[in-house]
Order: sequence, then structure tokens, then C-alpha cells
Amino acid sequence: MRNTYLQFLQLVTGIFIAVLLGIHMVIMHLDAILGFFGVDVTEATSWESMIERAGQGVWAGLYIALLAFVLYHALNGLRGIILELAPSATTERIVTWVIIAFGIIAFIGGTYVPLALLAGQELS
Amino acid sequence: MKQIQPRQNYLGPGGWVWAGKYKLERYLYLLHRITGLGILLFLLIHLVMTTIFRIQGQDVWEATIALLHNPWFKIGEYLVAAAFVYHALNGLRLILQELGFAMGRPTPPIYPYKDSLRKKRPWTIALVAVIVILALVFFYDFIAGGW
Ligand code: HEM
Repeated sequence: MRNTYLQFLQLVTGIFIAVLLGIHMVIMHLDAILGFFGVDVTEATSWESMIERAGQGVWAGLYIALLAFVLYHALNGLRGIILELAPSATTERIVTWVIIAFGIIAFIGGTYVPLALLAGQELS
Repeated sequence: MKQIQPRQNYLGPGGWVWAGKYKLERYLYLLHRITGLGILLFLLIHLVMTTIFRIQGQDVWEATIALLHNPWFKIGEYLVAAAFVYHALNGLRLILQELGFAMGRPTPPIYPYKDSLRKKRPWTIALVAVIVILALVFFYDFIAGGW
């Protein structure tokens, strides 16, 4: 029963990721094609462009939300793949907790930097 | 009646890739899994770059970006983009399918019958075509955007 809810969240996070990561991919990769439609994104990976986005709360919020969804989705997916080996209940618990711990660490690490950049921008 | 023994049909890691007669959708699912794990690997590298390297300021950031312009990284980056297109669109198909949307009316299984997956197979093939086209669009952008 519990795994049913986890799997349902897998589908829901999938939809959110499709929207957020879709935006991210188009900005980062389709510059030539956006240019064709008259949208000008100059070198999204340049320091100036990156810092400009990092200073805007909307972008920081979008990226942190994307990070949360993606970490849940990818790590829950990985857990499902591992548990297909039908390990013992103890091993299953260990796998689950290692994955949760990893996810929390990755989330804290991945949130700290955008927040620090956001705060730094507001000071200067 | 024969008792089913625990783990009687246990396949081990081999069950990850082969568990009987596979139809088209099952191969797509295998690819879904491979692309998912591939993007996860990329995500971990990407997180290191956007945290540990980015916080060190402009010089380190620009050196990292310059490193990523290496052709091998470019090829890897394109593979991630293509994997994303596949995983996203096939994932939306899986969501519809698993929640039972747009699967058509159930019909009684009287021979010869088509199961719901097979009824929807033309749409599945059309989706694969869309994925291929989008992957080519990304490919064009990778070439046109300059390496
Ligand atoms: C673009 C939006 C995405 C959508 C719509 C999506 C959709 C899905 C769906 C529906 C599943 C469940 C498949 C099933 O159990 O039948 C799934 C599994 C998975 N996804 Fe995604 N996904 C997306 C993005 C991502 C990203 C960015 C990653 C990695 C960072 C990822 C990694 C995985 C993994 C590892 C699995 C488990 C595969 C398996 O159980 O075989 N997905 N995805």
C-alpha cells in the first residue's frame, strides 16, 4: 500500500519535472532555435547571465523546486530498480534509508549555493 | 494443487533486462529505465558543478564551462538531452497508461482480441517518431550553436 503512494508520487513529480526541466532545457540548449523565433538568450552559461538569474528569487525558487522533485523522482526510481531484486526486509530498510540520507544531503548541498548567491546579490 | 514456493520465479539481476517474451512497450520501458539512470548520473555531476564549483566565483565557473566545451563532454551533453526528450515523452505516455487514461473501453477477451496496449500501438509508434524528430531538433541546435 505504501509503495502505491510512492509510485503515485513518482508520476506526479514526473509531470512537474516535465514542465520545470522543459523550461531549463530550452533556455540552456535551444538558443539557436529560440533566436530563430526572435527570442534572444545570449549565452545562458556565461557568468553574467548565470549571476543575473541567480539574483532573481523566481529563478532560485524554480530551481530549488526542480531539485526537490528531481531528487525524489530519480532516487525513488533507483530504489524501485534495486528492490526488484527482492532483498530481505532488513536489506530493503537499509537501501531505503541510505537513499533517503543521500537525498537529504544532496538537497541541502544543492539548496545552499543558490540561496547564498541570492543573498549575496541582495547585499551588493 | 501445487504450492507456489517463495522466490520460485526469482530471476536475479537478469530479470532487469529479460523476463519473458517482450513486446515493443517492454523494450521502450527498458530504454525508459536506462535513460532515467543516465540522467541521474548526469544530475550528480551537474550538481557538483553548480554547487562546489560555482560558489568559488567567476574564474572557476568559466574554467568549468570551458572544460565542458571539450567535444567528448559535448557528445555526452547531447546524449543527456536526447535521453531527456525520450524519458519525458515516454514518461507522459506511461503516466496516461498507468492511470488508465485514454486506454479505450475494456472489451471482453474473446479470441481473437487485442489487448489495450496493442490497440494503442499506432499512437505509441507515432510518439516514438515525435521523439526522434525532437532529438534531431536538439542535434541541429548542438551543431548550429557552435561547439
Ligand atoms: C521530464 C520529465 C519526466 C517524466 C515525465 C518522467 C516520468 C517517469 C515515469 C512515469 C516513471 C515511472 C515509470 C514506471 O514506473 O512505469 C519514471 C521513472 C524513472 N525516472 Fe523519470 N521522468 C522525468 C524525468 C526524470 C529525470 C530528470 C530523472 C533523473 C534525474 C528521472 C529518472 C527516473 C528513474 C531512475 C526512474 C525509474 C525507472 C524504472 O523504474 O525503471 N526521470 N519517470
